[in-house]
Amino acid sequence: MPPALIIPLAGLLGEQPLDLREQAEPWLKTQRSENAPLLRLESPGGSFEIERAIIALGAPDGIACEEDDSLHPYSGRPDPQPMSAVAALRLKESPGRLYHPAQWYRGYCRLLARLRRQGAELHDAEWQNDPEDIAVMTDKRRTQELLAAAGIAIPRPVVDDEPITGYESLRNAMLKARMHRVFVKLASGSAASGVLAYQLHPVTGAEIAMTTIGMERYNARPPIFYNSGKLKRYTDSVDIAAIMNWLYRHGAYAEQWIAKRGHDGRAFDIRQLVVGCKPCHAIARVSQTPITNLHLRSERMSLGEAGLAEEAIRRVGSTAAAAAAVFPRSAVAGIDVLVAEGSDRCYVADVNPFGDLLYGALHEGLDPYEWEMRELFRHQDKLAQRMNET
Amino acid sequence: MSEIKLKVEYDEYEDGKRIETELEKLAASPEGAALESLIIGDWGQAYENSSEDIVKALVEHKDRFPALRKLFIGDMSFEECEISWIVQSDLSPLLGAFPELQSLKIQGGNELVLSSLKHDKLEELIIISGGLGKDVLSSIASAKLPNLCKLELYLGVDDYGFDGGLEDVLPLIEPDKFPKLTYLGLKNSEIQDEIALAVANAPILDRLETLDLSLGTLTDEGAEVLLASERIKGLKGIDLHYHYMSEEMVKRWQQSGLPADVSDRQQSDDDEDWRYPSITE
Repeated sequence: MPPALIIPLAGLLGEQPLDLREQAEPWLKTQRSENAPLLRLESPGGSFEIERAIIALGAPDGIACEEDDSLHPYSGRPDPQPMSAVAALRLKESPGRLYHPAQWYRGYCRLLARLRRQGAELHDAEWQNDPEDIAVMTDKRRTQELLAAAGIAIPRPVVDDEPITGYESLRNAMLKARMHRVFVKLASGSAASGVLAYQLHPVTGAEIAMTTIGMERYNARPPIFYNSGKLKRYTDSVDIAAIMNWLYRHGAYAEQWIAKRGHDGRAFDIRQLVVGCKPCHAIARVSQTPITNLHLRSERMSLGEAGLAEEAIRRVGSTAAAAAAVFPRSAVAGIDVLVAEGSDRCYVADVNPFGDLLYGALHEGLDPYEWEMRELFRHQDKLAQRMNET
Repeated sequence: MSEIKLKVEYDEYEDGKRIETELEKLAASPEGAALESLIIGDWGQAYENSSEDIVKALVEHKDRFPALRKLFIGDMSFEECEISWIVQSDLSPLLGAFPELQSLKIQGGNELVLSSLKHDKLEELIIISGGLGKDVLSSIASAKLPNLCKLELYLGVDDYGFDGGLEDVLPLIEPDKFPKLTYLGLKNSEIQDEIALAVANAPILDRLETLDLSLGTLTDEGAEVLLASERIKGLKGIDLHYHYMSEEMVKRWQQSGLPADVSDRQQSDDDEDWRYPSITE
């Protein structure tokens, strides 16, 4: 197998974090290949201990040298009710709980900044995905902004003259724009966590919010929010406002809810993997609900099985490749593409730095990892060849 | 069968496209003259604009659709509009305007009116909703549809407009109401058990080929009475898919030799004993 080192996060967090060089050096020394080995960061969603350690890293009272917020696109905005590092480390595991999305993201950006600094000192290895890109891709607001600036079609963001900060301002903006159906997403949420499909009736004021987010209210302390795994349907304004205001305090992004193309009466979206600027593996996530990447009531199938013709499949691929190209220092990205019902136009809804976890998907007989290794090193071989020829 | 679907997407509506104009274009075209089946999808902000205008347009252009036999008003997914938010209107003028119509399918029970249901040739009436009002049920009960073969009603739940009860459904199963009826669907209901109990030994079964009680909250209570009925043995099809029967009850149906569909078994939530029909939106 060509060389790629997966950097686990556990050793990089905690009391005595390893240096990237310490983590990588022993392995790097064994590499004989002419290709610069690739460093691949492990996805941060692995375990509660890692999640907790990242939240601790984002605390306002951490070590001074660890407070590098240079990769955080909105670092000036203070986090709501921040937790001290000690309090963060004392968090108990509660499956599904959304502990502190804003502080988690701040901690994650600090970790990425440190890895970027240390990576710059390693001259004999390269990032598969640049830590700075990972920081941006992990914030939907910044990602969609960059995609739009590059001319990539995205679902229309909900905007207003004043910034949208919660339930009231979102509703006002929606009514002004006559956009009555929107998706509201936690800016740094992963997969289906922190997504709300929201509809507002312009005449009656009736509203429906569909989401997996659950809320537990207490008498003497603030409510806690969690991912229930099941789709809930809220119609009470008080509940909807509470959830939405909480999302916006932690950073949220709202966009037009585009009616997606259906298969068999269900809607689907697509995860298209792009490696080295070329689209490869793709799966359709078909769901009976508006939130398509839930495992509940959703099915995975190939794009052909979902009813897309060759030409449409090509367009999905090229749209995704164009989106990935907005991050030229990252070789691998999983792009979420929507195909609009009727017009068949493609829109990019999300860019995932760890979007190659597509179990069972094959492209030309190779799984995503095998494909990546072949493509990325073929590219490097070509470069090396050209250099040798000059 | 030649079929066309007309609809207006969100962006198109904002740009000024109107379904009445699309219908006019179709009416003036050769496709319109030969058209046998017309599907009206999202007519643009269907939660705000009622189907009244499209009904008017269809009536106005009725003579341009001489071959029209099938009409579906309201074909839109949850991605386009919640079923209970679709604003319908009085659709009976369509029956008067199209005397050769064979099938009328409607989606959305909100503000639906069928003030005068009279048609000599209509064979199918299908209404999909999260909650069908008792005034609509009453209109159907007093309808003059001598040729009706298929009646399929998604009754729904109280929260979404089913403001009646079993007493509003019973008039529909009187045996001579629709003398040619072979398919009866009283489905997607929160009173599915009560309906099953009422229908299990009703004389109307002798005349039917298919009984459709699917998509509702049918439990062992209603299933037991159906299974024990002599009258259902003559049916060619018993549709009970999407139900809340126990595994044992499902097995009994499978072993009964009856032509029953008992797929898509639902289980109520662990924490709440909560059951709901398939479409409640």
